[in-house]
Amino acid sequence: MKKRRQTQFFLLWAGMALFAGCSARSGDSVPANFESLLAPHRARAAALAEHGNLRGASEAWKVALTIDPRDAVALAESRKVDEQIKQSVGDRLSRGRDALKRNVHLEARNHFLAVLAMDPGNREAFEALQSQVREVRQVNHTVRAGDSLVSIAQLYYGDRTRSEVIWETNQLPPNPKLTPGMVLKIPEIPGLPFGRPEPAPIVKTPPSGSGPSTAKTEPAEEGLYANPALGAAREALERGEFVLALSTVDRFILQNPRNGEATDLRRIVLLQQGRTLMEQNKLLDAYSAANQLVKTNPKDPAATALLSQARGRLVQQHYNQGMQLFREEKLPAAVAEWRTVLQYDPAHDGAKRNIDQAQRLLKGLEERQQKQGK
Amino acid sequence: MKTLGLLILCLTLAGCGAATPTPPSGQTDQPAGEFFESEDYFVVVAKSGDTTQTLAAKHLGDANKDWMIEEYNETATLMPGQAVAIPKRPWNLSGVTLTGYQLVPILVYHDLAPQAKGRMVMGVKGFEEQMRYLKANGYRVITLKEYVEFVSLKRQLPKKSVLITFDDGYRSFVRYAYPVLKELGFSATLFIYTDYVAAGGNAFTWPELKKLSDEGFAIQAHSKSHGDMVRANAEGAAEYDKRLESELVQPKALFQKNLGYAPDIIAYPYGRQDDAVVRRTKERGYVAAFTVRRQGSQSFVDPHRIHRIQIYPEMRMDDFVKSLSTFSQETIK
Repeated sequence: MKKRRQTQFFLLWAGMALFAGCSARSGDSVPANFESLLAPHRARAAALAEHGNLRGASEAWKVALTIDPRDAVALAESRKVDEQIKQSVGDRLSRGRDALKRNVHLEARNHFLAVLAMDPGNREAFEALQSQVREVRQVNHTVRAGDSLVSIAQLYYGDRTRSEVIWETNQLPPNPKLTPGMVLKIPEIPGLPFGRPEPAPIVKTPPSGSGPSTAKTEPAEEGLYANPALGAAREALERGEFVLALSTVDRFILQNPRNGEATDLRRIVLLQQGRTLMEQNKLLDAYSAANQLVKTNPKDPAATALLSQARGRLVQQHYNQGMQLFREEKLPAAVAEWRTVLQYDPAHDGAKRNIDQAQRLLKGLEERQQKQGK
Repeated sequence: MKTLGLLILCLTLAGCGAATPTPPSGQTDQPAGEFFESEDYFVVVAKSGDTTQTLAAKHLGDANKDWMIEEYNETATLMPGQAVAIPKRPWNLSGVTLTGYQLVPILVYHDLAPQAKGRMVMGVKGFEEQMRYLKANGYRVITLKEYVEFVSLKRQLPKKSVLITFDDGYRSFVRYAYPVLKELGFSATLFIYTDYVAAGGNAFTWPELKKLSDEGFAIQAHSKSHGDMVRANAEGAAEYDKRLESELVQPKALFQKNLGYAPDIIAYPYGRQDDAVVRRTKERGYVAAFTVRRQGSQSFVDPHRIHRIQIYPEMRMDDFVKSLSTFSQETIK
């Protein structure tokens, strides 16, 4: 509370100072690099807010205000984002409490986690998660012939040593004998991919809730960081900070949609980012960077080359992964890999053939199991 | 508040024309326009030769707080001319972000010997290899106190934090673990059961424990007898009550007498507990309690059921590495 009062007081003071006509920055007294110091932090704050990361944006605006406490835009944006956080936190807390009352623990957990993502020191959400929310996320596994705790742990967690967790969760005796048809509870283990690994989530949506939409920025800022923003983007590109460069240039384009210099710069950033990602073997990311490029300009030869290169390596990778899983007799997982291959290359004959074969095998297995069950 | 007042005063005195933020006193070697301070942050323009450690030492008073600068700026290396934000306070106490939440792996070791034996005696070479892996891969070994503050929402921890614990009270710790830990600058926690202390052979004596405690190793409770604290089927209510009470209370008196403090943290023998054990543990003043389960613990874990990961001698290096996950990915919306 004390801190909030301080901030309010500070904002009030700063507002008055602005009102009194102090906002004009005198060119002579400002160091030459002042704008270039500020621009990355402003851009970062704006990009984070656009991606719904309110907490990150709030902190980044505070950093920008550290450099220039009288920046009118930063003051307004900072206040706006803090107000959004306050409202959303209140909303999600009450929805979390409500979910707890209804005994819907996973939903409550979600609300309280969302509160902490916006306000990581929120004691009410923290204590609710700590003492009231029971974590219940788990799936059932029906034991098949040949299953062991170790093989099941490897299947769900990719880590055979986690068999202990399955053992403990199911209160099994030491050295348990697993029989086909037996049902085991498989709990989610934080920090491990669960079941078939999914691609890393891309956070785009702002926290849902009754709070105002976070994705819009004020058009009034046009011209304020026109050139510095592009300069900052170029510097970020030189340092290899592609994400920052891209968010900076995107923000510029939002306000100056027809600026050729900016669209060129955007193309270069994406291209270099894509190439670097390829070198780092981050194929999926490289693919999506190349894809973005080709979408904006289908005739760009450098972009199409990068795209087909990334696609080729992805196809190869998933195809081989499928073969590996197939050899390990993980048929559904193998099929999933080959389906991914077809997403990138719908005409891939090998993948099609293998899927058919694996499905025939799976069907045979199921029929046999049903017969055994009878 | 004082800083803020100073800032306002400076700006007011400077009048409307000059908008250049004024460096506060005590930072004379930074030219104007290269150092800024607000209630929550310093922003410093990095000079050549500056590292996150030198900046942390200078502005946060502790070179070991370099992780705050690295994690906030998302970089471990500084470029001259770069505006580096230095947080003056924690900015993510619970470790929760939109993409998931922080986990702290807590490792459990028992006895050590030159050669591994069975499931419980770790070979010294394997142990050393694991510790060096932690160091080489940027893990930060935290103290028990820091960890308990983290689960009380009072401390932000570095993203790659690990806690190292040893159970039972084997003096082999001094010979085989201590030198490695000291060399790498790692801290550790010992959970000891009091019946075993001074039992001869490989058992610690109280003076040895006192020495380690004085050196900064955390020594905490692991019950009196190492008996399973969960009520046995055949056990009568009164009998069980008495037994549980002595497991929880007797270590307090012995610690007080020999180490000068009563333990307020306990590791359940075999990691075993149920609601009744947890309730009594809380009632007897233990603020945190540890089980054994092969997963890392988040800040909002139940503080009386914190998971620890047992490390076995036969574990391969890649199994060990898989135990070290420090983030649970989950899209939070």
